[in-house]
Amino acid sequence: MKVRLTAIASAVAVAAALGVTSLAPALAAQRGRGAAPAAPAGPTPRMANGKPDLSGLWADPYTPNMAIRAVDPETKQPLKFARQGEMLADAIDPKRTFDLPYTAWGLKKWKEYDPVGKGDYAGNCLPFGMSRNINAPHGLQIIQNPDALAFLFEQNTWFHWVPTNSTFKWPADLPEAWNGLSVGHWDGDTLVIETKGFNGYTRLDTNGHPHSHEMVMTNTFLRTDSNTMQHTVRVHDPKTYTQDWMNVRTWRIKPYPDVIMEYSCEENNLQNLFDGAIKVWKAPEDDDR
Amino acid sequence: MRAKVLITAALLVTLAATSPAFAHHSIVAEFDPNQPITFKGAVKKVEWTNPHIYTSVEVTGADGKTLVYRVEGGPPNALFRQGWRKDTLKVGDIVSVSGIRAKSATSMNVGQATITMADGRKIFGTGGNRAASAEYKE
Repeated sequence: MKVRLTAIASAVAVAAALGVTSLAPALAAQRGRGAAPAAPAGPTPRMANGKPDLSGLWADPYTPNMAIRAVDPETKQPLKFARQGEMLADAIDPKRTFDLPYTAWGLKKWKEYDPVGKGDYAGNCLPFGMSRNINAPHGLQIIQNPDALAFLFEQNTWFHWVPTNSTFKWPADLPEAWNGLSVGHWDGDTLVIETKGFNGYTRLDTNGHPHSHEMVMTNTFLRTDSNTMQHTVRVHDPKTYTQDWMNVRTWRIKPYPDVIMEYSCEENNLQNLFDGAIKVWKAPEDDDR
Repeated sequence: MRAKVLITAALLVTLAATSPAFAHHSIVAEFDPNQPITFKGAVKKVEWTNPHIYTSVEVTGADGKTLVYRVEGGPPNALFRQGWRKDTLKVGDIVSVSGIRAKSATSMNVGQATITMADGRKIFGTGGNRAASAEYKE
């Protein structure tokens, strides 16, 4: 019953997110497509080596604004910091506030973020970055073997590969990347993924919260049963933020016949770029080095 | 013919309050929240493309001239998961549309749109929190 209610709640959430004022289509679609309610939660699936198997198609909560539920990584209580909530009237968008514990450099980046006037890399269909990929609304597939794990992001059909074998070493001379380079390890049943080596072009979320190329992002994944994943993301970026902060989220498995689908934002945005409706993004001035 | 267009402030308020949260390009850059529009017409084409679908709707004005609006909808994968399909709307279907005009006077694009079918079903939810924000949405 709980699972059934969760499925309905998900349908309600999706319908609300899409602005469908009647829920009938969404619910009928579930029935019409033969989408059975999610199977009752069973125990955490495990690999042959005993580690949790995180494989599956997951509904990870769409998170366009990570500041809203930022918590202290140690206490998991709402984040507290100086100047919290202060209006930033001189920002490009005067509705922005001092909503995360910015350094002077970070605050400058937050104030001047101007996706309309200067173009945004996301509207240009460039890689969103590890954080914004996970924050996206379309879900993601995880595939896993004993030595590695891969995220298949439905968002723009991107992928991110994470070695989990401790003997694996990334070549030291790899260039910085949109998604950074990740390494995973197990802490008991929790997979801990540390990502760094970012090119600094990306934003943490749709709202444009900044980070520097020095950021170290730590994601943890604990599959608590067959249907549920507890996920945390910790942002450590002393250049941008005066203290670490974290989001805590719950993922739900997406039962068949929901499947990962192809997604190409260029289908429309290419023409929008040509027409000028979307500004052509240019790499920012190199003040992040 | 824009003479058939009904402009209401109430519509704008409604759109702002109920606007969905998906889009992939600038809302404010392309559309003008101060130009709400409603019209009724016949479906000419459905472009089932990412990150938004577009439904072309032909409107006949009082003078007999026709205009074709290009109505932006939500992302196709999300619409598919709701049960909508590329052929849910057929060419020739009569629909009612509410949304906002593009800033460009030459553009026939309509954003923040809701399409209502003849049987009352609201379909192809739009793709953006357009009126409320200049953000880029995924």
